[in-house]
Amino acid sequence: MKSNKAIIALISMAVVSVVVLYACKKSFLTRDPIGQLGDDDVATQKGVEELLIGAYAILDGNYNDFNWQSSTTNWVYGSIGGGDAHKGSDAGDQADVNPIERYESLPTNDYYNIKWKATYDGVARANNVLKALAKADVNEEDRPSLRAQARFLRGFYHLEAKKIWDKIPYVDESIDYVANNYKVANTEDAWPKIEADLKAAYDTLPALMSQVGRANKWAAAAFLAKAYMFQKKYAQAKPILEAIIASGTNPKGLKYGLETRYQDNYNAETKNGKESVFAVQASVNDGGGGANSNPGSILNFPHNSVGAPGGCCGFFQPTQELVNSFRTTAAGLPLLDGTYNQGANQVKSDFGVAATAPFTPDAGRLDPRLDWTVGRRGIPYLDWGLHPGISWIRDQSNGGPYSPKKNVYYKSQEKVLTDGSSWTNGLTAINYILVRYADVLLWAAECEVEIGSLEKTREYVNLVRARAKNQASWVMNGANPAANYVIDTYNTAFPDQATARKAVHMERKLELGMEGHRFFDLVRWGEASSTLNAYIAYESTIMGLLRGAKFTAPKNNYYPIPQRQIDLSATNGVSALEQNPDY
Amino acid sequence: MKKIYHNLVAGCCCLLILFCCNSTFAQTKKITGKVTSSENSEPVLGATVQVKGTSTGTVTDVNGAFSLSVPENATLVVSFVGFKPLEVTVGSSSSLDIKLESSASSLNELVVTGYTTQQRKEIVGAVSTVKAKELVAVPAGNAEQQLQGRVAGLTVLSSGQPGTTSLVRIRGFASFAGNEPLYIVDGVPTFSIENINSFDIETTTVLKDAGSASIYGARASAGVIVITTKRGNRGKLQVTYDGSYGWQNPGKGFKMLSPQETADYTWTALRNAGKVQANGNPIHAQYGNGVNAVLPDYILAGSESGVFEGNPAIDQNKYNVDFNKGPIYQIVRANKAGTDWYKEITRTAPIQQHSVGLSGGNDESRFYVGFGYYNQEGVVLNTYLRRYTIRANSEFTIHNRVRIGENIQIAYRDNPQLTNLNEGNAISLAYRMNPIIPVYDVNGGWAGTAAKGTNNPSNPVANQTRAKYNKGHAFGIFGNVYAEVDLFKDLTFRSSFGGGLFSFYANGINSKTYENSENIGNDQLYEAGGYGHSWTWTNTARYQHTFGIHDIKGLIGIEAIRDGAGRSINGTGLNPFTNSVNYRTLTTTQSSGRTVDSDGSPGNDIFSIFGKIDYTLMDKYLLSFVLRRDGSSNFGINNRYGTFPAISGGWRISQEDFLKNVSWINELKLRGGWGKMGNQRIDLNNQYNLYAASARFSAYAIDGSSTATFEGINKSRIGNPDGQWETNLTTNIGLDATLFNNSLDIIFDWYHKRTNDLLYGPELPATVGQVIYPTINVASMLNTGVDLQIIKRGNFGKNWRYEANLTLTTYKNEITKLAEGVDYFDGNSFGSSRIGTFTRNEVGHPISAFYGYRVIGLFQDENDVKNSPTQDGAGPGRFKYEDANGDKKITPDDRVFFGDPNPRLTSGLDLTIGYKGFDFNIFLYTVQGAKVINYTRWFTDFYPSFPGQAINADVKNSWTPQNTGAKIPIFEDVSNFSTNTQPNSYYMESGSYIRARNVQLSYTLPAFTSKTIGMEKLKVYVQTTNLFTITKYKGLDPGVSGVDTNFGVDYGNYPLTRQIILGVNAIF
Repeated sequence: MKSNKAIIALISMAVVSVVVLYACKKSFLTRDPIGQLGDDDVATQKGVEELLIGAYAILDGNYNDFNWQSSTTNWVYGSIGGGDAHKGSDAGDQADVNPIERYESLPTNDYYNIKWKATYDGVARANNVLKALAKADVNEEDRPSLRAQARFLRGFYHLEAKKIWDKIPYVDESIDYVANNYKVANTEDAWPKIEADLKAAYDTLPALMSQVGRANKWAAAAFLAKAYMFQKKYAQAKPILEAIIASGTNPKGLKYGLETRYQDNYNAETKNGKESVFAVQASVNDGGGGANSNPGSILNFPHNSVGAPGGCCGFFQPTQELVNSFRTTAAGLPLLDGTYNQGANQVKSDFGVAATAPFTPDAGRLDPRLDWTVGRRGIPYLDWGLHPGISWIRDQSNGGPYSPKKNVYYKSQEKVLTDGSSWTNGLTAINYILVRYADVLLWAAECEVEIGSLEKTREYVNLVRARAKNQASWVMNGANPAANYVIDTYNTAFPDQATARKAVHMERKLELGMEGHRFFDLVRWGEASSTLNAYIAYESTIMGLLRGAKFTAPKNNYYPIPQRQIDLSATNGVSALEQNPDY
Repeated sequence: MKKIYHNLVAGCCCLLILFCCNSTFAQTKKITGKVTSSENSEPVLGATVQVKGTSTGTVTDVNGAFSLSVPENATLVVSFVGFKPLEVTVGSSSSLDIKLESSASSLNELVVTGYTTQQRKEIVGAVSTVKAKELVAVPAGNAEQQLQGRVAGLTVLSSGQPGTTSLVRIRGFASFAGNEPLYIVDGVPTFSIENINSFDIETTTVLKDAGSASIYGARASAGVIVITTKRGNRGKLQVTYDGSYGWQNPGKGFKMLSPQETADYTWTALRNAGKVQANGNPIHAQYGNGVNAVLPDYILAGSESGVFEGNPAIDQNKYNVDFNKGPIYQIVRANKAGTDWYKEITRTAPIQQHSVGLSGGNDESRFYVGFGYYNQEGVVLNTYLRRYTIRANSEFTIHNRVRIGENIQIAYRDNPQLTNLNEGNAISLAYRMNPIIPVYDVNGGWAGTAAKGTNNPSNPVANQTRAKYNKGHAFGIFGNVYAEVDLFKDLTFRSSFGGGLFSFYANGINSKTYENSENIGNDQLYEAGGYGHSWTWTNTARYQHTFGIHDIKGLIGIEAIRDGAGRSINGTGLNPFTNSVNYRTLTTTQSSGRTVDSDGSPGNDIFSIFGKIDYTLMDKYLLSFVLRRDGSSNFGINNRYGTFPAISGGWRISQEDFLKNVSWINELKLRGGWGKMGNQRIDLNNQYNLYAASARFSAYAIDGSSTATFEGINKSRIGNPDGQWETNLTTNIGLDATLFNNSLDIIFDWYHKRTNDLLYGPELPATVGQVIYPTINVASMLNTGVDLQIIKRGNFGKNWRYEANLTLTTYKNEITKLAEGVDYFDGNSFGSSRIGTFTRNEVGHPISAFYGYRVIGLFQDENDVKNSPTQDGAGPGRFKYEDANGDKKITPDDRVFFGDPNPRLTSGLDLTIGYKGFDFNIFLYTVQGAKVINYTRWFTDFYPSFPGQAINADVKNSWTPQNTGAKIPIFEDVSNFSTNTQPNSYYMESGSYIRARNVQLSYTLPAFTSKTIGMEKLKVYVQTTNLFTITKYKGLDPGVSGVDTNFGVDYGNYPLTRQIILGVNAIF
């Protein structure tokens, strides 16, 4: 009978198990995710606050990897597209940029899609703040600021999209997967809504905020002004710019002004100074694997890393045309007539000069900002020693002889202000400043050119030039200036509006070189076609890769809307998104 | 409520006790017996002797002997592969002499199928089996690889990397994800069998259609492979030993230009692009600026590249490769003879395996214990698989009515692998490194691309050597415990609880480097560990009864599963004081720059009830019904349950009177079935809207800190609470025939498999944000195909015998729907192409089809360019693309589907010829009609892809105005739409091949001789695997794997290489 007991025991267990299994199958089949939050968790004070941090976090354009394609620095769309730089490196690496550089890229180019995705992720994150905020029980005194910051970011991301693609869908918090309204049309002009977001932020946000990285009233003012500038609404922009100049401060109450040293804008140790109106905050060694650094510039270091900064990849090489622009007259002024590309005015380079062959840098007059903007042979490259020329260049015949500089860290900062958790040291804590105070001054100068006084224009431009003139802003080689820097302010009145306009436009090129603005400035001025075709004509005599390239207006004034997004927005074969003209 | 349960339980128990009592009074007696072959009186080893109508049974030992306790008047069913099953009435005798008649027909073998065992003649579904000895014929670290070519309808794509996981597909693809077959090992479901020692496997059954597989409804849609491991035999202890030792030859690598040729072709490329200096000559950091490219004596001396003897930079006193001592100063001699990088990263590698099996037992208890050791060094440096396994299976019989047993396996493996199919792995670096670079510099430091003009690959020998102590350990326990009770004569209850528990631990270093152009700036340590578990609790009741001409078998069951639960943690840290292995811990890394992540999965729970009825009328007409209902935690509450029925039938035509007298037909059966199977392999979070706090993508230094961030969160996933089961409707029609005196078996199946409500997460417009998109039931897919197996065996002459086993697999896959507004998605989830993806999954095309511009030739001259449709970058010697839409312009609209990696036919032919004790076996495996993208050619055939890297020797036949018939475009430093920037058909090659997977000669000692040396059996053999491969493919190995939606693209594939192996099988 022993076996019977075993049998009884077994059967009892089986029956019990079946019953138990059946009884608890409902809870058995509900498995909660690990390490994730739900809708209810985020519709709280803390949830909204952290969603907002998350919306700031994508200011760098980095949404799932080191997305250099979508970097907010716009090194591709603004600087390469604007003739400041070549793609660089060798021809085959990141080959998608070659057609962008030649103004012949197709809507299927993946770069555009990645940029679009990053930009609209910013929009979606801002909207997620607003969605959670609407449901959340938060301190009522915090609500306006939370809301206004989210609207600021939403306006900012849309502005970013607007200047690149023009015909863009405006996405607000009513757009939702569940509502099935997410295939948003791009037929309506987005400017009014962008303005509304930025204006709301300007009207609501206080000047003083808890943290320096947040958008305050004045940051909102600057972007509202920027939106006006892009629409040539000088009359609306001018008073706002004047208000910023008169009383703008950063969130910690530091009054805006120009840094004494131009180069402090590109140094992680002096970030968030008085010139930084609004910046992408970069941090390293923070447990984020380098993703919170300035990851969009990861490729943009000299090649060949023994004794050189970064560790990769030799991209983003300044053009000869940009370098020539820094030629100055005996009076220390730029060559507004464009003759800097002619004859002896051209700046001497080490193109085709072997590393072992001797080379003396150009001895002519130059604007000192050149050597903070461009790395060139024989000039100190921060504290890395003299730029050695060809041995830091991956392929001179493809990218030219120059290296980028504004995004490069100092040797003394390696592993302290660069991230160590990746294969490269080229992940830095250098902020990318989205709007510098110099930018504000030059916008104000533009407004004065167009609707104000030429003298006031001169005053603003000279503020910017005076800082560059100060030796503290020069690259020194030992005790001496690294090159023959000759620079001065405009000491006589502009003879006419056209000259003043040229001076302001040139000043933006020089002051903001390699900072991702050039292409968009040219387009908003209506000068893209003439300027860029002239640039191509000149540069292609040196760089074969531009031979036969052509900028066609109005087509090339905006980049193509990514084909993938057009396809994804289709319903019954009809897309909500229309392509830009002529693509 | 609680009380009701109590009463219910109590009531049930009482009822069951009554049943038990009723039948435990039957008398039993002990019998012994011997099973021999009627043909030659040799004992039959391993025959199953079973009491009819019960699962009481045993297996014969090496002498064919068995002993068994049986009820009075029992009938024994004796069966063994290759013999006709025999029913023997025990009667009054206690010793039986049983002679089995050879059937030589696989139609009579016993087949382990879903939850039960059936004779093949009773089977109405599409079921294939693999013999244990076929399975182990070719050594492999993973049993799934050994299935290649053995089963009609099964495709296995596998690389040569030790311990690699293969792409195993039964009848094509039913889904975009989750096409891995479900493995059932001793009744326990799992998705990985990598830790099973194949010598422990007794039976392998592949369930291919709904009729056979839908009993596993929940996860059956990709097919089911049922494996049982060896059980103990009654009788004296039997010891088996299987051991082999061999060598693997890496074979030939890539055919690249020599250093001088590389230099000369660099000049060609630069001249062709007009990239010359003022003196009319190209310039290069190594090759000078002369009319001809000149190789330097040293490629690097300090910061100078391309230097000659006598240069003051060649100063040994300055040499330094120690970061702590100061700046790096290397002196690297040019290897003018050329470095064969493939040869440098590979070696002749040993492979050995040893398995010992012990088996024995008596009526009360039986056991099988297996020890396995597998050690395969990879042909690539520092890749290997070392695996140790222990299996312990035992079963206990209590008073004849209750059997309690367990099957358990413990495995430990150390298996560092390289990332296969990746441009940065050692294989890829072997075709990327310029041959002028030596492996070492003049003082034995590593040499690399720090020398200018050699671009940016890294020295793969250095990489593999530095990774020498990187470890990837895994430890796993897998198995089950079970109890079976014969409640009464025809009813058996079984409860099994099984599952797996595994843990893994990896640690290693990505070392700081000095020798490359793009160096790694830090020593980065990593450590990662985790555990996981899964369990399955199955309760079944089996009923079997014969009423006259009606034979009924029934099964009902209830099952609860938890799969894939676990947690993991990994951390990284930088720059420890020293790199020595024993100093490396995360604690000893520098304090800043440490990262730590952890994650987990709650597991997927499934709850199921199922049943099956097999009905046989007059041993002629077969009917089978299956019904399973599953609930899965992967779906939201609304659609959690799915029901999966199947019906199939068979007609044994040969049993009909009109065929009874046709002597050449031994067996003829027509089968057919229809059924529904399910797939629920989606992310278990799919039902939820989720938000994540990510240190990488939502944290932000809002306070302006340079070294710390504030936590932020972002939406990580859009949920789909309405997701439901993916279902797949399969119709199968099959024919089994055994002909010509059992010498020929033909098993034919045709199928039509349509997947509906296919789970697919279509990409959404960016307006919803960068989140994980919800997986929804929208897509559909169709697979049709034919499986055919032909077995022919026989004798010729007096002592000669042969057996040929041919399997043929075909399938045709077509995506029939994606989602509203979505016609395609690109296969860019895997691998790495620098020019965009080559594969597109589009409605109306097979999965992973190759997409891009079709090259219709090369432009021959300017006139040709002018007269052709407008094409960006067109020029003589460059690609001329097909103007698919005829609009005289080459635009993205002209991209077409130009190829398909899915083979039209795969086939295995296993041929054995025996003469007395000798057996010669050859196993040929062939793939026909598959295409492969040889992406490696992007690196090697185009100068500007990565200037300065190695160049394919084929460019000697590239286009020139004189060599206009060339297929390879002009060699020039121009990168544009018409050269190297677009996925196009140039890269596609035939992936068809015929490979001798195994050629083996073995000798088995005569029984008498082996007995004199104390053995029951002794067999020795010599074999060579992958002896030859006939293919037009120019890469290393046309067997290129990948993932379902992007496979067949060779991004640097670890090749299968030739092995020579000596081995022995012995039974003591």
